[in-house]
Amino acid sequence: MKPRHKKMAVIALSVSALAVSVVLVLNAFQSNLVFFFSPSQVAAKEAPIGKSFRVGGLVEEGSLKRVGDGTTMKFAITDTAEVIKVVYTGILPDLFKEGKGVVAQGKIADDGVFYADEVLAKHDENYMPPEAAAALEQAAKAQKTSFTQ
Amino acid sequence: MTINWFKYASPASFYFLAGRMVPYFATLAIIFLVVGLYIGFFVAPTDFQQGEAYRIIFIHVPAAWMSMFLYVIMAFWAGVGLAFNTRLSSMVASAIAPTGAMFAFLALWTGAWWGKPMWGTWWVWDARLTSELILFFLYIGFMSLQAAIDDPKRADKAGAVIALVGVVNVPIIYFSVQWWNTLHQGASVSLVQSPKMATAMLSGMLIMTLAAWMYSIVMILTRTRLIILERERHTAWVSELKEGVLE
Amino acid sequence: MIWWIVKRDLLLAMRRRSDVLTTLFFFIIVVSLFPLGVGPEPNILRTMASGVVWVAALLASMLSLGRMFSSDYADGTLEQMLLSPVSLAALVTGKAISHWLVTGIPLVLMAPILGIQYDLPGDALLVLTLSLLLGTPVLSLIGAIGAALTLGLRGGGVLVSILVLPLYIPVLIFGTGAVEASSAGMEFGAHFSILGAFLLVSIVFSPWATAASLRISMS
Repeated sequence: MKPRHKKMAVIALSVSALAVSVVLVLNAFQSNLVFFFSPSQVAAKEAPIGKSFRVGGLVEEGSLKRVGDGTTMKFAITDTAEVIKVVYTGILPDLFKEGKGVVAQGKIADDGVFYADEVLAKHDENYMPPEAAAALEQAAKAQKTSFTQ
Repeated sequence: MTINWFKYASPASFYFLAGRMVPYFATLAIIFLVVGLYIGFFVAPTDFQQGEAYRIIFIHVPAAWMSMFLYVIMAFWAGVGLAFNTRLSSMVASAIAPTGAMFAFLALWTGAWWGKPMWGTWWVWDARLTSELILFFLYIGFMSLQAAIDDPKRADKAGAVIALVGVVNVPIIYFSVQWWNTLHQGASVSLVQSPKMATAMLSGMLIMTLAAWMYSIVMILTRTRLIILERERHTAWVSELKEGVLE
Repeated sequence: MIWWIVKRDLLLAMRRRSDVLTTLFFFIIVVSLFPLGVGPEPNILRTMASGVVWVAALLASMLSLGRMFSSDYADGTLEQMLLSPVSLAALVTGKAISHWLVTGIPLVLMAPILGIQYDLPGDALLVLTLSLLLGTPVLSLIGAIGAALTLGLRGGGVLVSILVLPLYIPVLIFGTGAVEASSAGMEFGAHFSILGAFLLVSIVFSPWATAASLRISMS
């Protein structure tokens, strides 16, 4: 091979190697390289069985109950499609509220309940004063009622 | 009138130019810092979810942004120095590293102090936090490599290689919250969407970012001046400076 | 040209077998220390197995980086190579390949045996070995850059760890991730995809960056 051809061959090989690597990365992103699983993924049996993993979603409205000694909590995590029941003993973070984001680490027992060792609050990227939040909520409610009518 | 920009690529003229610019940028940095902190702590309203604790954002976000910006700028100047053999650009790159490392550390540290009350943990190994930690390590690697090499020319070029290799990490940090399910929330401010913050909060954060920019410029210019003096100590103009002939 | 370098380096390595064995024994000893330090609880051992084996592989691969260029540097061969008309990128590719053959392959072959010490089930052993097979060449390629940059520096050994270990972190994350996913009964193809992408990207860029670094260090 002439040196010029050799150089062209090296460049062509490099470009195709990079193209293949892009395909590989994109392919990987379709799978579950995740920090936490959603309740739907758990319901679809995509989460590990018998091993510790994280579930993330919203705390279902009206699901939070304290049981017995007062440090054990029962609540449900939802992604609006599926719901998973969680039991946790310990201190909840300040931001933990019904309807807000949460990530829990633990295991699913045979009874389908998720026993959490650690509960973290996940907040969103919105920052506003409480009045603005209340106004937004009002607006959302008004819209909802106008839809149903 | 055309300005001969290349004049300032000579370390000697840059030394004096930078010396004249430092006081202005320092003044701006102090003004922005005072205004930004005032808005951040007295004007910006309490957040509807996080209460008062969100106010750490006024330090955390500017620090995180600067740590990424400065890395890219450092790699850029190091690369220019490597490609065109311009001494001054490599000196600027070396001057950026400590400030960048400081901001990366500050971002991690304030993040931990924010994470504990809000998320309930000091640290999690999610993609955003891990990649920012790697950024901090990259700054440390760059600085220790340069410190270990006695010959400044070799130090500049070797540093450039490691800085350029590490650039891959910056987009990973930035997009990690979109690519993976992370505990860290998404970006509140971006170029393509309207910001998801109340105006007073946003302006406080942006002014604090300007303060961080100005502070970085002051530190980088000052440090570059020191590096110039150290490397040019055998030249005529530095000895004249020492004898008080110049300036 | 690449194969000529590989053949030469392998021959040199065979003449000095103790160097190769030292790296391998370092790997074995580090991995064996953990059960002694942590205790023999099989459940704990199983969960930490992939991490321990991978970290030990990282360290072993990194510690042997010093040999990649230093002996050729010391006796002047490297200078002659730089002056010769052959492509320096091809030359360092050969160097990285022989580093992988001499240190990476023995680690890969040893990993299933060490995994048994940790009571790993059969399929996890297989995934661990495959992930190392895909990941260790990346370690050699990235490490070559660090080895070239720190050539002939005082305290080069510690310095190379500061430079190279942060760049190894992604390989570690996805390598151990594959094993954890498989032992949890989940899909682990995605981790292998990413490791494969790392390998391709480092094959393209590392020889080029290493060659540039060698020129910087030798000038």
